[in-house]
Amino acid sequence: MTLLIGALSLGLILSFLALGVLISFKILRFPDITADGSLPLGAAIAAVLLVQGVEPTLATAAAFCGGLIAGAITGVLHTRFKIHGLLAGILVMTALYSVNLDIMGRSNVPLISEVTLASYAERTGAAVLGHGNLNLWGWEVSIRDAFVFGGVLIAISVAGVCLYLFFRTNLGTAMRAAGENDQMIRALGVNVEHMITFGLAFSNGLIGLAGALLAQYQGFADIQMGIGMIVLGLASVIIGDALVGSGSLGLSVAGAVMGSVLFRLLVAIALRWGLDPNDLKLVTAVFVFLALVAPNFLSRLGKRPALGEASGIGAR
Amino acid sequence: MLEARNLAKTFNPQTANEVRALNGVDLAVEEGSWVVVVGTNGSGKSSLLNAIAGAFFVDGGTISLAGQDVTKSPEHERAKFIGRVFQNPFTGTAANMSIAENFALAARRGMRRGLAWALGSDLKQALRERVRRLNLGLEDRLGNTIGSLSGGQRQALTLLMATWVRPKLLLLDEHTAALDPKSADQVIRLTEDILSRDKLTTLMVTHSMQQAASLGDRLVMMHRGQIIHDLRGAEKRRARVDDLLARFEEVRRREQLDETAAEMLRRAYV
Repeated sequence: MTLLIGALSLGLILSFLALGVLISFKILRFPDITADGSLPLGAAIAAVLLVQGVEPTLATAAAFCGGLIAGAITGVLHTRFKIHGLLAGILVMTALYSVNLDIMGRSNVPLISEVTLASYAERTGAAVLGHGNLNLWGWEVSIRDAFVFGGVLIAISVAGVCLYLFFRTNLGTAMRAAGENDQMIRALGVNVEHMITFGLAFSNGLIGLAGALLAQYQGFADIQMGIGMIVLGLASVIIGDALVGSGSLGLSVAGAVMGSVLFRLLVAIALRWGLDPNDLKLVTAVFVFLALVAPNFLSRLGKRPALGEASGIGAR
Repeated sequence: MLEARNLAKTFNPQTANEVRALNGVDLAVEEGSWVVVVGTNGSGKSSLLNAIAGAFFVDGGTISLAGQDVTKSPEHERAKFIGRVFQNPFTGTAANMSIAENFALAARRGMRRGLAWALGSDLKQALRERVRRLNLGLEDRLGNTIGSLSGGQRQALTLLMATWVRPKLLLLDEHTAALDPKSADQVIRLTEDILSRDKLTTLMVTHSMQQAASLGDRLVMMHRGQIIHDLRGAEKRRARVDDLLARFEEVRRREQLDETAAEMLRRAYV
């Protein structure tokens, strides 16, 4: 049971990453791989501030801002300096590796003895229910785990709803249109370059937030924790599409969160069955590959010509 | 309303693919007039429209709209003055967004876009009203994605979107060229309705001599990046399809003559 609730909590934390990837890849159709750098950036900022005794909420907010800046730089490199989107992301991601090391001062910052959002959840749990285990429908769950899970669930729900509402505003619809048909929206008076920069900043802000929460959840920030994050986020979004379809905006947002959680569950099960943790990234990459190729392959089997990019996820 | 002076544009300069798309175009369009632009392929008629819309900056000359010099303004800033309908029905609309959302985008052309709801109840009300008048039966399908509609329907909606906020200048770039004859007819009729009702200043590029002869109150014929004929008033009203074709033929013959003469000279002297 501890394994299950752990996987669920981790999945919910990584849904912030999935939402960020949803914005860049699906809404803006921009292949942004800054995530591999902005996630550990968020973790590094939060960890260093927490070690210095900064209020956890403030430290987490600072991580969000750090991601915001990283994404904005990728956006400016692409829109102002006309660097290819993928390359702009690679440049920022590579630079962030050094930046993250500079921020942390070493490759790993432990947070076991610091006051974090996780210890807030634990304290709240202790105040409400005391210490020990909780009996949930016959399952033993530690009160700490239950409250961490609850806190993350509330946070991601609020974030998801806010994101959905944002995309229904004038600004949000303009951003969606900028990703879908830049010529049309330019003719309607929107500065597409600004939209891309703003969208990427927002996307990486969420990813930085994911990094901060992840560090506080697992009790350390590590320079290596960003590797493969973009593929992980893509996997979540793809699973989300498969679960709920990409028909409407609300479903896409909910799907990304569900995809992230489901993916974590699958990983937990695979590890339980004896999958070597070292092979995890290989398996994830193969999974994303199959998910990208399958729609075209299936439609060819059905003797119909493939209708363009079926999943909506493709290079700009 | 529109003043274009001595516009020049060369694409791919100093390469094998060099194209002189605009070669000293002067065009002044008065408020409320409907100018039809015709020309052979590669004559620069679409380039003229794109130069005015700001899709690219001109190499030389000036463009002013409503008394304001916009030669150096980017496309999205000029959008404040200009409504556009493109040749390709896919270009003018966002396919995966609903009809209503597309209109919400168009309803704020040239305005600030903040955090207010895109789809207010006022807009929905007005939208239902105006879409009903199109007689396409779309007023009850405003929540559907625009990608589910036919090219003709999309083009009709794009026209309505382009004129939702009254544009100082409406640019129609062969907006019926990609449609089947019946839809093209419908869209042309809708264009006439809207233009005669709202008295919009319009620049319309067309490939159809039929449309060129019957629509608008002024006709501009382009060739090799220049305006070669400019028919107005009675002259435009008298123009028939045959006259226009004859003028094209004349251009073609003159060109052939030039080529034959050049060939002769080359043979004689080189």
